[in-house]
This record gives sequence, C-alpha cells and structure tokens, in this order.
Amino acid sequence: MTGGTVLRLEDVDRDEALLETIAALHGDTRADFLRKAVLGSAGMLALLGAPPSASAAMSATDLDILNFGLRFERLQASFYTEAESMGVVGKMAPRKQEWARTLGAHERAHVRIVKEILGDRAGPRPFFDFHGVTESEDSFTRTAVAMEDLTVALLTGITPRMRDRALVAALFGLLTTEARHAAWARSIVRTTPAANAFDEPRSLDGVHALLGRTRFIVSAPRVRRRRRAPRMTG
Amino acid sequence: MTRSQLAACAIAATAAGFAVGSPQPPSGAHTRPAPVLPTALPAPVRPAFTPGPALPIARGRFVTRWAPVRRAVAARRRPNTRAAPVARVPTMTPDDTVNIVLVRDSRSDRAGHIWVRVSIATIPNGRTGWVPRSALGGYGTVDTRLVVDLDRLTATLFKRGQRTFRARIGVGRRGSPTPRGRFFVRDRLTRFADRFYGPVAFGTNARSPGLTDWPGGGYIGIHGTDRPRLIPGHISHGCIRMRNVDILALGRRMPVGTPITIR
Repeated sequence: MTGGTVLRLEDVDRDEALLETIAALHGDTRADFLRKAVLGSAGMLALLGAPPSASAAMSATDLDILNFGLRFERLQASFYTEAESMGVVGKMAPRKQEWARTLGAHERAHVRIVKEILGDRAGPRPFFDFHGVTESEDSFTRTAVAMEDLTVALLTGITPRMRDRALVAALFGLLTTEARHAAWARSIVRTTPAANAFDEPRSLDGVHALLGRTRFIVSAPRVRRRRRAPRMTG
Repeated sequence: MTRSQLAACAIAATAAGFAVGSPQPPSGAHTRPAPVLPTALPAPVRPAFTPGPALPIARGRFVTRWAPVRRAVAARRRPNTRAAPVARVPTMTPDDTVNIVLVRDSRSDRAGHIWVRVSIATIPNGRTGWVPRSALGGYGTVDTRLVVDLDRLTATLFKRGQRTFRARIGVGRRGSPTPRGRFFVRDRLTRFADRFYGPVAFGTNARSPGLTDWPGGGYIGIHGTDRPRLIPGHISHGCIRMRNVDILALGRRMPVGTPITIR
C-alpha cells in the first residue's frame, strides 16, 4: 500500500486483536463497533490536528510530523503506564512483566526526548480513553501487539518525509527500536515475530484513520466552565 | 574440507580482516592497504536526538485516578448487575460540567466485564459503589492532595507529597458545618458574575447534610469571597472560602480530580 491510501484497521491489526478486544469491552458486536468507529473517525482527525488530505500531509513540515509522532508516543507511553499503575503488569508472569515494563520505560523516554526537541512548540497532551483494555492481561497484551505493529507502520511512513536529515537519522533510531518492540510483543503472544518480508510504508492519513477507529484519543471531558454562577452552598 | 581445515581458513580470514583494518605501516614499507570504502561517501549523519535512558514508572503512591461518567448508571454494592444499587451516578454536575468519579479499585467479573469501585456524591457523604467500566471515560490522573483542617482553619495543598500551598480559610458555621471526610474536586468555574464566590470556584462531591434543598443539591465548594475580613472563621454555609489572592493561587496549582481530606 502506498502513501495516501486510506488504510483499513485490518492492515495493521493482523489478528484483529485490537478490534475484537475493544468491541467486546464496549459490549458491541464487531460490526457495530466498526460502524461507530467510522462515524467517530472524522472527529478524531480534527482532534489530532490532522491534515484533511494526503496531499496536505505530504506538504506537512518536520514540526507537524514530529508533533504527530509525539502524540503517538504519548498514546503508547500512557497505555503502558496505565496498565502498570493499575497493577495489571504486576500480576503477569515474570517474562511478560519484563517485556511490559521495558516497553513502557522506552516509550516514556521517547516522549521525554521528543517533547524536549519540540520545546514550547510541542502540542498539548491529548486525553486518552483505553476503554478498559489496560485493565486485563489478555486485552492489554493483545492490544500491545497491534499497537507496536501500528507504530512500526507509522514510523516507516513518516521517516522518509522528514526534510532534516538529522531528524531522519534520529527517527531511524526510534524505528528500529519500535520494530524490536513489535517483534518482542509478537513473541510474547507466540505469533510470528517477523510477519512480512517487507514493511510497507504507511501514510500519515492512514495512521490517522486507524487511530480514529481505536477511539483511544478522545475529547477531554468538560470539567471547567466559564461565565456560569456556581450553585454551591457558599 | 575437514573441520581443522575449516578452522585454519577462518583464522586466516580473520587475520586478513584485522590487517586491512590496522593502522598504516611505518613509512618506507612496501605494502599499503587497499582502500576498503570509496572516498566519496558522504559523512555519517548525526541523529538530531537520542532518547537517553529508559524511564521506569514513577512511584504511584501519590497518584490518584479519576474518570468522567459517560453514561448515567447505578452504582452498586458489589461488582455485579444483580447487586443492590447504592446511588444513581449522573453524567453532569449541577454546575453543568461533566460529572467525574474518583477511581478506588477495579476488577473483572466471571464474564470478563470490568467493574470499577468509585467515590460518589451522596448523602451520607463518603460512600463508594461499583459501576461498569463501560459507563466511564478515560482515566485522568493527579498527583496533588488538598488537606482542610477545620480546627486550624487552614487548607494545604500537597504535590507528590510536598507542600506547595497553604492558606487561612473560612468554613461552615454552627448549623451548617463543613462535613468531614474524604472527597474530591469535581470541576472548576471561572469568569462568573457573582462576586460572592470570588474569581474561582471549585466544585466538590461533598454535600451539606443540612442543606440538601439548596439549589443544585447543597454541594460544598472551595471559592473566593467578597468579604475577606471574615477569614479565618466559621462563616459559611459549609463551603470553604479563601481570600481571592489565595483562591487564584490555588487555582493555578490544583487540578480537577484532586482528592480532598477534610478533618
């Protein structure tokens, strides 16, 4: 698949683990979930500040691309951190604990450095809703596999689009690390670590659409209000 | 080829490799190593950044988790749809903000559905109940905690266990006392026209036991005042009042979801 073509979730979620897990947690059938997800993906694109078309994505600056990378790294870091802090990771077998803790620590380090590089031009942290997949070992593990594959797909697609060669070199470092993560995750669930002979580059739009279908990035709840008199006792 | 011949070949090849990579012989030597790489290759690209060491998770004992209520639901005594309901949990607060709950625990039932034990806004204060995970949105976290001391008339904010703010306060007078217990900040209101509440007001899930017929249900807030000379003192209908300069400072430091201990 080439850049600009809209991906299907199945392209990356090879075992459909992500889809099934989230649909089950919502109490939806897979078809219902997909229908809702498609409806929700437009709002998701707006939330991500996504370009509306593939051509716009191609003209995006290094800053825009790196900011998208930051959002994605934050998604991953939050995913592993939430599972670990909820105690799910601590109940897993030792080899799985090592895997989950290592990947979480790597993703948090990625967030730290990309934020540092972007400085005050780093976008705000999105609000995440993992729909409970971080709260059981099975759903966490299956989702992690799909998420790591998606990360490799994303980095394979965006790295060649960077104009600054030093940034390209840095993203290659992240890409190879994420590829090892994906292979490690696949070995954890005893799936073929290297599924393909070649990883197709993915478009930014395609990854946006995939993320939209997960509904992991949501609007922050409206817990602040202006210009409305309080109704508390005083 | 025998195993010993193979080993000899390997050793010879390794030695040749080292020779190629070794420094040039002293001047006057007859042999020069052949160039391994063409000289026209560009210089290596230095990465713009490297992530540095991995970041283990921060210690979680200061972290509190909260979640917005996505659909109205009954909180139950146990994580089971057949368990008795404790209270109805709405999606919105009386101040028209999204209702949030504090997350205390979570577990899966036999069918694999996840249930979450949450703190809710009820009379009597301080109750918890179990709600389906699917009724809640994503988790937010805070690392702050507010301690209100009704005897010393102080409010103290801690961040990761370190004190970051303290102010004198006004609290409920006799007949409308500020309730003691464990609560949390539900919302933050600003730019309203009522000077009685000062410039910032935080809504909480604490309720006044004696003022349940108050508009909105008698919820306790933390807010500023238009009568700062009354602070500190037992002056309010149950809310926690601060001087405006203090509530503004607290407003910059205390996020929604912060747990509150009133003692």
